[in-house]
Amino acid sequence: MGSQEHDKPAALGQLRVLELAEDVAGEYCGKLLADFGAEIIKLERPGSGSPTRRLGPFAPGGSDPEHSGLFAYLNTNKHSLEVDLCSDEGRALLASLLGRVDAVIDDHAGGWLEQLGLDPATCEAQYPGLVLCRITPFGPEPPPERAHAEDLTVFQASGWGYHTPSGSTEDQPPLKGAGRFLPSFESGVEAALCLVAALCGREGDSAGRSIEVSRQAVMASRADYVLAQMVAGDMPVSSDRHAFDLFGPSGIFPCREGFIYIWMSAPAHWEGLRQLLGSPDWMADFPENWLERACTPERVALCRARLAEWLLGQDKNEAAAAAQELGVTLVPVNDPGDLLASPQYQYRGFFAEVEHPVQGRALYPTVPYLLSETPARIARPAPLLGQHDAGLLAALQGSGENRDGGAA
Amino acid sequence: MQGVRVVELTKVWAGPYVGKLLAFLGAEVIRVESEGSLDVTRFYGVDDINNAPGFQSVNPEKLSVQIDMKSEEGIALLLDLLRESDLVVENLRPGAIERLGLGYEVVSAVNPAIVYVSMGMYGSAGPLSYQTGYAPCFAALGGLSALVGFEGEAPGGMNVRYADSTFGTLAAYGAMVALYHARRTGRGQFVDVSAVESMSTMVADAILDHSLNGVVRGCDGNRHEGMAPHGSYPCHGGEWISIAVSSDSAWTALTACMDREDLTQYRDLASRKAVEPALDEALAAWTEERDAGELVALLQSRGVAAGRCQDSLQLVADAQLWGDGFYREVCDGAGRSKATTGPGWRMSGAAEIARGAPALGEHNDYVLGDILGLSRERQAQLREQGVTR
Repeated sequence: MGSQEHDKPAALGQLRVLELAEDVAGEYCGKLLADFGAEIIKLERPGSGSPTRRLGPFAPGGSDPEHSGLFAYLNTNKHSLEVDLCSDEGRALLASLLGRVDAVIDDHAGGWLEQLGLDPATCEAQYPGLVLCRITPFGPEPPPERAHAEDLTVFQASGWGYHTPSGSTEDQPPLKGAGRFLPSFESGVEAALCLVAALCGREGDSAGRSIEVSRQAVMASRADYVLAQMVAGDMPVSSDRHAFDLFGPSGIFPCREGFIYIWMSAPAHWEGLRQLLGSPDWMADFPENWLERACTPERVALCRARLAEWLLGQDKNEAAAAAQELGVTLVPVNDPGDLLASPQYQYRGFFAEVEHPVQGRALYPTVPYLLSETPARIARPAPLLGQHDAGLLAALQGSGENRDGGAA
Repeated sequence: MQGVRVVELTKVWAGPYVGKLLAFLGAEVIRVESEGSLDVTRFYGVDDINNAPGFQSVNPEKLSVQIDMKSEEGIALLLDLLRESDLVVENLRPGAIERLGLGYEVVSAVNPAIVYVSMGMYGSAGPLSYQTGYAPCFAALGGLSALVGFEGEAPGGMNVRYADSTFGTLAAYGAMVALYHARRTGRGQFVDVSAVESMSTMVADAILDHSLNGVVRGCDGNRHEGMAPHGSYPCHGGEWISIAVSSDSAWTALTACMDREDLTQYRDLASRKAVEPALDEALAAWTEERDAGELVALLQSRGVAAGRCQDSLQLVADAQLWGDGFYREVCDGAGRSKATTGPGWRMSGAAEIARGAPALGEHNDYVLGDILGLSRERQAQLREQGVTR
């Protein structure tokens, strides 16, 4: 990022947020705010810090809490304060902080906040104007059969798992989706959206809000196009593994090196493919509009087999460029190395170099939205454990005023 | 979001999803539709464009105004509407919005406070921004599909429906931050969102592993480096349950449920990882003939994270999703009541979600009369000219 970007204002620079979260969902939510300039005060357990410090990937040179690349990614631009919330001093500090922040992010199971005396009703009464946002797997009071949850069980409860991947067979296990944390990342974005919306609303009516984000509901809401039709009775429901699928020849195919994804659903795609392949004989037996009107299993199988033969000899990037010229939606299946080399990612500056005091320099993925006037940026690496204890405590003692105008 | 007015120039799913989230948060969201280039979801598989289930899924709580965007008068009307709005979101094909004469330069000249959200597969500019694709293309390009599949096989990718709504949510967040800034300062801006990059952020930890260690992760089935066992296991009657053993004590509890004291020797993660395929087999043999619901109840009672792999029938019957109000009834302008899906959050003082998706042009009178202040005569004139319908 050029120096020009650094001169631009931070959209959320006026906000101070207390982060009680200790898992991926809540820390990601905090990061999304912090990268727009919100001051995030993260409370960490004395000695061990956030549990995400024990999760990989780790930077070369160690697997101690300061080497967690995951923690470093999730906590850019934040401040770390070591606080023992089980101690009286810790509770007193928490109470003092609550009077000085605009919002709180939590992602512990239901009951945890309540034990701290921070149930939403109490919060609303004691800290008017405060926005309290909690992310849980299945809501704050899950039924007994959902008391214990991980991203895997959330994903499987949301309907996505049973239908992933598309086209799988009855005997193959439903999959967890991409990576380790998909439902957590999704819910972190949802929570950040709700938080800023509530803070935006507060500009008008100065009312606080309590927000409960359910990871299951978030994932289910992402399937709205099919799920809303299903619950309305407009689309069949069943135990079919393909109930979410679209039928047709689209899919992932091996190519010379790696894989290609091709999408075909309209006559224009078919015509483009004909030009791309040089009008092979096998295509002549297909009706022009077969993708829309005559998409039989036999044709799909034949089309896929012939496509697979051809794609096997193709370079994924060259084939994609040629296909796009002809209106064929054929794209490479990229890995992180491809993303790093992508001229488009470079153009948009998707990777940012971050210098961490322990981990050294690394390229971090950033955000998919470019704001022309108030861009997100990583001004500081993630904090070392307790890095801001002294400075923050002094600053807090120095500023007695409540953020909402009342006495602290 | 009360008092925030959003104009949508969107198609299909990702763009309309932005408006849906903002409408659920209380904004007034107006879809501008043009009979000459309707959203295809208005007529996929149905005869009645005002009763199209796909369209209704993504457009509840919105208003619809019909303006012919191929006419100069139509574009002038639209600019008048944008002058009275806080945010506009578009996900038309690359370059289309500029060809309509509604690019950012034009719109911000009319309304400098407006937040202008542009959504594209690769974003609005750059060497590949001309390329187009559908949701599974975003996932493939963004590095997400390569991670989904059975171990040792070609990637399968996420379910084909994945990507649009995630892209829409990230766009909505960027838009919301820009709105917050505009509310405080009166200054609008251009928000340029990439679908492909949206996908990358959902697997950021895998990308980071490459940055830090040069590791390229591939399909790993249901494996998770921090938990074992971790997967889906078959049950009686073709059902499946998922089990995630996230602690050593959970493993001890699980082996007790299985009555397999011999397996307790794998007391830590490293020892379980070393024999994970064998543990998966033992688990599958145990679950295979058992009832999914009973297994989940048993495992949960012992503190093990387990749950049904819900099929679509179980999903629409999910008692908690009904109880928490995730599934809810909305009623459209024709008086048709319908169940639909709500948002992933519950909020105190939340905006009401009660209206179904709009009929085409249902709110012409409100938009043209109340917002733009056009007289009845002028409205009739525009209708006769075919600028509105």
